Amino acid sequence: MAAVVTKFTEQAILLGPRRTLVGVIARPRVAPDPALPAVVILNTGIVHRVGHNRMYVTLSRMLAAAGRMTVRFDQSGLGDSGPRNDRLPPLAAGLADIKEALDSVQQSYQVSRFVLIGLCSGADQCVLYGHTDPRVVGLVMLDPTIPPTRRYYLHYILRRLSHLPNWISVLTGRSGLLSLLSAHLLRRLRPAEKSKPATLQDLQFSPYLGKSYAASAALGMKLLAAFTALSPRHEYARQILDAFPEVSSRGTLQLQYFPDSDHVFSSGPDRARLYRVISDWLAAHWSADGRRIGA
Amino acid sequence: MNLLSLGSAQRRLFAIHEAAVATTGAPRAAVLCYPWGAEYTYAHRSVRQLALKLALSGCHTLRFDYFGTGDSGGDEFEADLAGCESDVEAAMEALTDIAGTSQVTLIGLRAGANIAAGVAARHASIVEALVLWDPIVAELRSLPGALPQRTAMFVTDSTESRDRLVGLGFAGGTRPATIEFVPTQSPWVESATMTGVLPVSVIQRVIEWLR
Repeated sequence: MAAVVTKFTEQAILLGPRRTLVGVIARPRVAPDPALPAVVILNTGIVHRVGHNRMYVTLSRMLAAAGRMTVRFDQSGLGDSGPRNDRLPPLAAGLADIKEALDSVQQSYQVSRFVLIGLCSGADQCVLYGHTDPRVVGLVMLDPTIPPTRRYYLHYILRRLSHLPNWISVLTGRSGLLSLLSAHLLRRLRPAEKSKPATLQDLQFSPYLGKSYAASAALGMKLLAAFTALSPRHEYARQILDAFPEVSSRGTLQLQYFPDSDHVFSSGPDRARLYRVISDWLAAHWSADGRRIGA
Repeated sequence: MNLLSLGSAQRRLFAIHEAAVATTGAPRAAVLCYPWGAEYTYAHRSVRQLALKLALSGCHTLRFDYFGTGDSGGDEFEADLAGCESDVEAAMEALTDIAGTSQVTLIGLRAGANIAAGVAARHASIVEALVLWDPIVAELRSLPGALPQRTAMFVTDSTESRDRLVGLGFAGGTRPATIEFVPTQSPWVESATMTGVLPVSVIQRVIEWLR
């Protein structure tokens, strides 16, 4: 049988100062242009680096075959990676893991710029971390947390009102609408609550998230945000622009919508489109010969 | 933890070996067989945890992704049952080399249990014990040979009911010597992914049974 010749190679690696973060690096067979940013894919929730429907493996290989070094890795306590030993709270630990992984990749593979990709909690970590590290030049955020806007509530309430079972829930006291609104009201009435350390669970009400988006936009970071039909607490395509006007005004955001996709891109055609969108967005900003376009 | 690449250039398999800690007596070794599809995604951390605990109990372990799954080579459409069984054989060969043993235990979860059972039925001289964790029971009736004498089946909350299992019956040679119901959350269902709960009681029971 003839040997299989792919356009990329893959290697399992251990990242971080204690070599406890397990990852896989996919590289083009022809040495990649060192000026091209390496792509780093973060965990989705507590799912390991392979991702739902193996989407990060396919994406890594596709990008590597197109000339881009791509790393997928497990943050501490997830997948095959061991726990940290510094007792950081979960969100801080996740962000520290990203820094340590980038440090390792930079040191071992001589790349100095990165693009981060994440879905759901991974998308939130992208934006919370990206603006703190000058090596990060782009973010791909899939179904990131977007705070509710006025238009969100309008869409949400109208949608719920047009659905008979919801009326039954309200009449029988089982609706979550009142508790959602009262929780929002309480947060507005108690400013001290807003300064609590952020967790990924309460990001939608956290100024931390807004500041991160504003900082990313101010840095001119290239942003790609994609939303599915089942993005949690997301009601309309431009919600991110209403929630974070700074992002809108800077014009560094590309917005994509997947109206038929579930939250984890279970459908093959949706995944194929997602791969194309990401690949094209990368090519538009960082060409294969390493020149950065338009910046 | 040793990250390994097994198999051939045409069939590269990603694997992780956990070395046995504090071994006394003859070395022991176990190959862990993941489920397929979404169940693989949800159960991944639980299988890792089982591997770590087994290593701490003095047993070398090797867990790996079948060709066309996880971090191994190939596309999803290239994964099939026969290929998975040959991947288990490759893992057994690698682990016996690493651990310096001539026999291994096979431990499989869901479809991984069925794959492990198929391999065990063909390699009676090498597979000294078999653990079937929430197997797809109906499929166990079409094995190519008898199960090892030392075979245990552990069943958790979300698989077939106890009554159904008892009533199902097994063909000659396919009835596990031990069948235990362990009342705990099944790690291969989606809710486990959401909560991150590990099935500690099953893991503990598997380790005890293997001692």
